[in-house]
Amino acid sequence: MNSLDPRVNRLPAVGQPGQVEPRAPLDQFGTFEVFVQAKEGKPFQHEGIVHAPNLEMAFVLAKEAFTRRFTCVSLYVADTRHVYVSAMTEGNTAAWDFINTVADKPGEKISYEIYLLPKRGKQHQHAGTVKAATPEEAMSEAKKQFGSKMVYNVWVIRTSDIRFTSPEEKELWLTLPEKKFRDASDYKGGDKLKEFLERSKIQS
Amino acid sequence: MNNEAIKELLYKMADDQLILGHRNSEWTGMGPLLEEDIAFSSMAQDKIGQSHALYQLLHQLGEQEPDTVAFMRNAGQFHNCILVELPNGEYDFSLIRHFLYDTAEALRFEMLKQSSYKPLAELAVKIRAELRYHTLHANTWVKQLGSATEESIGRLQHSLEKALPYALGMFEPSPYEADLLSDRIFEGENALREKWMMHVEKVLSQTQLTLPDWKLIEPVYGGRVGQHSNHLQPLLDEMSEVFRIDPTAEW
Repeated sequence: MNSLDPRVNRLPAVGQPGQVEPRAPLDQFGTFEVFVQAKEGKPFQHEGIVHAPNLEMAFVLAKEAFTRRFTCVSLYVADTRHVYVSAMTEGNTAAWDFINTVADKPGEKISYEIYLLPKRGKQHQHAGTVKAATPEEAMSEAKKQFGSKMVYNVWVIRTSDIRFTSPEEKELWLTLPEKKFRDASDYKGGDKLKEFLERSKIQS
Repeated sequence: MNNEAIKELLYKMADDQLILGHRNSEWTGMGPLLEEDIAFSSMAQDKIGQSHALYQLLHQLGEQEPDTVAFMRNAGQFHNCILVELPNGEYDFSLIRHFLYDTAEALRFEMLKQSSYKPLAELAVKIRAELRYHTLHANTWVKQLGSATEESIGRLQHSLEKALPYALGMFEPSPYEADLLSDRIFEGENALREKWMMHVEKVLSQTQLTLPDWKLIEPVYGGRVGQHSNHLQPLLDEMSEVFRIDPTAEW
């Protein structure tokens, strides 16, 4: 069935009796998590996701999707599949209570970034970096270092899985403070509407 | 300082930015994916902003107000190269044009940082961040699609071959080349073209796209002296429709 409505065209066709086949592959790009630093010295905060064919394209697309309006100094991205997530908790139960302590084992340790959710409904914020052999050990290390804070969820990402803004790229946001026209308030929609209504009153 | 030479340089740069900014904005709401729609629209807005800054410089040199200059001229009075006025076509053509044009634009402003005409040198320093993003965006897409699938490579290759004669038209010689050079205002179109070819070769060498022999490409000139394709006037009619009805309209 051909329709101008893309939702109709996406409807699965009626199948054949006895049909068994693998699930259709993803017909969309995968997702990447975007973290933004509002000011020098402030922690990076998770702002949302972009769809992209790879990490580098995700960085390029995240820049305009998440930082074209509000001033910021840096951003970075990581593949959603590279984010390890702890159990979510609520009320008086901290996420730490659900994280197992992993015994320290000899072996190569790599660097992991730690993100904490201080309040349900808020965004995850970067808390620091730990060394660990596995994501589970990184969670356990995070518990040791940040366990005194009340948080409801913990994320860990291998540092090497993140596409950071390079020092030369930090100038990408240089002219942003001047682009006031990108703020919704700059359109002065309310004023224009009021003016229009008053004008129509006079005419009628 | 040679004001006529500076004006010729500013007009062609400003008109390029305005016309391509408008063309690229035609993708708003129709981009291939939401994130790309936002990025491409945002860069189109940057281009219009940059054209405004250049028209301001012209205004300081005695030309009319930016709005008047942008909206009240006819095609024959525009100095943009023909590349930027061509219709968008499919996204592969828009992307290749974005890559070929923005590479040249970024290099031109890079050279102008040294200009003896200070207001232009200052503008070049100020907008370097926007240009860095525009070229990062273009290079990343071209590298991605230029090595992805048979279809993406084939489509980019086709658009590349179509765009190249017009792209060489960006460097149409100016009657003021010698003056610009001797007054150290700008190193000239030839020097820019040489740098541009090297950059284009460098990016395309990281893809499966093939660059035809430069010597076999016949540049399409005329835009800089107001001889345009028949695509420019309809664009101008649409862009200036509201301004021509009511120059004081705000929306």
